[in-house]
Amino acid sequence: MRRIGLLIAVGLLAVALAPVASAQDDDKVVLRVGNEQDWETLNPTWGYLVAEWEVWNQQYEGLTTLDENLDTAPALAESWEGSDDGLTWTYTLRDDLMWSDGEPLTSEDVVWTIQTATEQEWENYVYFTQYLTAEAIDEKTVQITSSIPSPQLPDMGFIILPKHIWEPLGDAEGVGAYEALDGVGSGPYVLAPDGFRDQQSVTMVANPNWWGWEGREPGVDEIVFRHFGNADAMVAALEAGEIDAAHSIPASAVEGLEDHPDLEVVIGYQGTIEEIAVNGGLAENQPHPALLDIEVRKAMAYAIDSEAMIADLWYGHAIERDTFNPSADAKWTPEIPEESRFTYDLDRANQILDDAGYLDTDGDGVREMPDGTNPIAIRHLVNTNDSLAGQVGELFSGWMDAIGIDVELVTMDSDQLGAAIAIGDYDTFYWGWTPGVDPDGMVSSFITDEIGGWNDANWADPRFDELYAQQIEELDEDDRVEMIHEMMTLFHDAAVYIAVNETPEIQAYRADAFEGWTRQPAETGPIMYNASGPSYALLAVAGEGGGSDSGSTNWALIAGIGAAVVVAGVAVGLRQRRTADERE
Amino acid sequence: MLFVLCVNFFLFRIVDTDPLANMFRGRNVPREVIENLRTSFGLDKPIGTQFVYYLRETFSLNLGISYRSRQPVWDEIVSRVPATLALVGSSAVFAGVFGTLGGIVAGWRRNTWKDHSITSSSMILYSVPEFWLGMLLLLVFSVVLGWTPIGGMVTAGSDAQGLARLADYLQHLFLPGLTLGLAYLGEYVLVTRSSLLEVMNEDYLTVARAKGLRDARVRQHHALPNALLPVVTLAAINVGYVLSGAIAVEAVFSWPGLGEATANAVQGPDFPMLQGLFLVFSASVIFFNLVADVLYAYLDPRVETL
Amino acid sequence: MTDLARRRRKDILERMWSQFRSSPQGMLGLAILALFVAIALAAPLLADAGSLDPVTARGRGYPQWAPPGEFPLLGTDNLRRPVWAQFVWGSRISLAVGLAATVLTVVIGATIGIIAGFVGGRVEAVLMKLTEWFLVIPFLPLAIVLASILGRSVWNIIFVIGVTSWPWTARLVRSQVLTVKQRLFVDRARSLGASGPRLVSTHILPNISGLIVANATLSVPISILTETTLSFLGLGSAGAASWGKTLEDAFVNGAITRGAWWYFVPAGIGIMTVVLAFTLIGRTLEEIADPRLGGR
Repeated sequence: MRRIGLLIAVGLLAVALAPVASAQDDDKVVLRVGNEQDWETLNPTWGYLVAEWEVWNQQYEGLTTLDENLDTAPALAESWEGSDDGLTWTYTLRDDLMWSDGEPLTSEDVVWTIQTATEQEWENYVYFTQYLTAEAIDEKTVQITSSIPSPQLPDMGFIILPKHIWEPLGDAEGVGAYEALDGVGSGPYVLAPDGFRDQQSVTMVANPNWWGWEGREPGVDEIVFRHFGNADAMVAALEAGEIDAAHSIPASAVEGLEDHPDLEVVIGYQGTIEEIAVNGGLAENQPHPALLDIEVRKAMAYAIDSEAMIADLWYGHAIERDTFNPSADAKWTPEIPEESRFTYDLDRANQILDDAGYLDTDGDGVREMPDGTNPIAIRHLVNTNDSLAGQVGELFSGWMDAIGIDVELVTMDSDQLGAAIAIGDYDTFYWGWTPGVDPDGMVSSFITDEIGGWNDANWADPRFDELYAQQIEELDEDDRVEMIHEMMTLFHDAAVYIAVNETPEIQAYRADAFEGWTRQPAETGPIMYNASGPSYALLAVAGEGGGSDSGSTNWALIAGIGAAVVVAGVAVGLRQRRTADERE
Repeated sequence: MLFVLCVNFFLFRIVDTDPLANMFRGRNVPREVIENLRTSFGLDKPIGTQFVYYLRETFSLNLGISYRSRQPVWDEIVSRVPATLALVGSSAVFAGVFGTLGGIVAGWRRNTWKDHSITSSSMILYSVPEFWLGMLLLLVFSVVLGWTPIGGMVTAGSDAQGLARLADYLQHLFLPGLTLGLAYLGEYVLVTRSSLLEVMNEDYLTVARAKGLRDARVRQHHALPNALLPVVTLAAINVGYVLSGAIAVEAVFSWPGLGEATANAVQGPDFPMLQGLFLVFSASVIFFNLVADVLYAYLDPRVETL
Repeated sequence: MTDLARRRRKDILERMWSQFRSSPQGMLGLAILALFVAIALAAPLLADAGSLDPVTARGRGYPQWAPPGEFPLLGTDNLRRPVWAQFVWGSRISLAVGLAATVLTVVIGATIGIIAGFVGGRVEAVLMKLTEWFLVIPFLPLAIVLASILGRSVWNIIFVIGVTSWPWTARLVRSQVLTVKQRLFVDRARSLGASGPRLVSTHILPNISGLIVANATLSVPISILTETTLSFLGLGSAGAASWGKTLEDAFVNGAITRGAWWYFVPAGIGIMTVVLAFTLIGRTLEEIADPRLGGR
């Protein structure tokens, strides 16, 4: 084995160059979580990746949070009371709240966060805070007034930031450029000193000042979120016990993992959908003119076999949907009547195109416009950050071929894809959304004003806009559900989102390492990377008690001590871009 | 080198995208801010001025900001250099040592079964796409046998220190190193062999043998030193090729070096990163070519007279 | 004069062929190559191109991830496409891209080499400086960068390989042209008043064509391997299923961890043997064209 000697020599050199991890004591309990996304920033005022929210969900809290049923639950605020008109709410903070650095957490922090977020237009806040004015009554009482009768009240899920850290940063530019590595938070775990060193991992340590421990010892002292460039390596690391849990596992690996004696696989749903979207034509650049005809879009929708996508790409772990889910809560998604659903039917698709006058006049297998010119050749954008997108592209191109539409696949990463969508420089693409709890965030994406912004269908409808403006102030939930259903039906009928599937978060954990994992939404949701990330603070080393396997007992515990953990952007009605480095 | 800079500059000017549009994708930035930045980047200036700006920035190691990570390209490249150095270094040494030995055996025992088997396996190794060899080795050693890790540089979340850390690192280095080493082994064998044959045809060896010197002695003292001359320069020049070969191999093994960075940047495409990487690849190849020239001059006294 | 040239060319070819036939390695290479050319030409008879479309493959009820035992000849992939069909049709694209890129390489390289060698003077200095510069730039990174900028398509790949790998040919051709030119002056052909282009076509080209062909044959492996690497990195055409594209698909879709060896082993062997064949043929041709290399 002479070569080992060589390797050692070179290896020594490299080890000498590599950064050395800081010394660590042995009896510390460390939870290691793998995921495929990496972190762009830890600044909660504008970051938007799922992996980033998972960190903030531990480090920061809002006045309120979400419980297992995604209902509003107490967090920093112990209780609240509304005025008769429903516009003014008074929140009472818990006693003796402290930031992790020992500074007191008071109503000043709350007021500063709301006012500054609105003044400086923080992207993750302004949607909601722009309607709010806050006033500190005393150290632990805050009065918040909304300028509109918002159905989202009294939910105050957005993150409250430590004023003493953030105020000195100055103006919007200073806040936006801040790297937020201070590790000062109010939640159960905060960023460790030097915890975000390279883009590869985030280390968080238990915050002894978190009110929710209430005398309990944290079951986990430290959480390490680790980025994997490759899903296979992540799955192998989980099987080998190198990590304790993993998020964004490819569907193709589920079968293998289920056979592993020490692993539990969790297939969780929280409203995430993935769709093939057609350019509706309202952005700066136009799609192929045929796509502006709703009949062509309908024909395309009929030509896509969602069942095949679910079987071959998701190995059965996805659910066919008619349109996107505006919320993680299924009640907001309407039933589409059978006759207007786009059920796979190639003959019907061809018939629609024939009837509308798109014929293949020159016999090359590709249809032309009704005037016989301009063959229907379209550009489908493939997201290179999503390994499924390439396969979807191949299937899509096959189905389009069957109805005489020629598809060119163009690859780019999610950033460039986002930019191309905003200016309308595409015909179709495949991507997805994870909705928040309140439907406002998702449906607001498709109003006219969002063209060039979040509106990735580049489609709009005056009736949709009108309903949007009504529902935002509608306090009667049944009426609001009806409005949202009408909006969603309009959206479905426009056939700009064709082939929508609800896709799972596939996660797995070592049952021999930790117990107490908690699903959110209860029973059906994922155990991590969900609306408020409650699992970590409830975990215990397997076999040592303190937690149990099913969520229900834990949630009883939570309800009992009012200890729902943290906040999510979701609570504010934000939607997270399913930036799927997740499934690379 | 200046040529490389020119190519780099003009190549990326072909890209028909506004560098600033990419920087702010999706985020609302006031128009004045964009205009200010445009001025500070010199994008409003004629192309010649832009080129001067580019040179100035490059020499102050400002290679721009990666679209993907939003980190300065230079920092990202620097952080990935050790991984690539370790990989390319270990595989170059492996290929050099074993390739030369194989070539000597084949050349010395010309036309025996040893020669034939060594030469033909070298030809085969020479014909294999490096990354495919890596995929095969990964399948056999990591998936089927489970002896080696499936990718990365260290075990995820490992706190191991000192020797344990080193052992972990070497375990991860083993397969990618072996892959690249094997892929470039063939070339060393063939070059050593033909160089040895050439030397052995020269007069002084015949003289040496005629003087009654034993084969082994002839080989050690006369043939080898001369035959190894081209091998040494090949080694230096080859570092550049190994570096290129590392691109796809690092991608297969998720080895976090410059090659993986290239494979990732291609996906974007992350042009500032590609531009920076291309510059670094070119610079190192030029550097190793210089090393080869110097080595050659140093080892071969005949060159001095030129 | 033309007659004479034609006869000379024919003589040269006949001599080369008889020398070639006596070389076992050359004949082995030729045999392998012939096999693959046959596969590529007979692709429609060997496998149905329709099954390369995942929708068609699914429609026919092909299984997913089937090993060769369950689905002849080479099993199926993640989208139910038969691997055998991918192998057969991939050979077409890989060979065609390899050859087309080589032709481009040789045309650029030989043109520059001949002009530089024949015209001489300042033109030569400039062209050779350019060649030298291009030689220094690492070839694969340049190809990757170019391909990223131009976007994914078969034509771009051919173009990229062509414009990045010509300098070696240019340098070789120039040195040969210089040698031939020396001899020509002795022949006094020039003083008889022949024009430049004529000199090139009647005297220089026939004399160096052997080497150009040998060089071209040795460039094909580089072209094929480059196409493979570019495709593997995701720079190949999304539509054209070359062997490199198959390797990319297999890697991206987790064939390795799944142990689905049948997905990527055939394409790799295909590349390896074709590259080997061209290398064997090229080395033999080189020995014939430049006898000094003989016996190595």
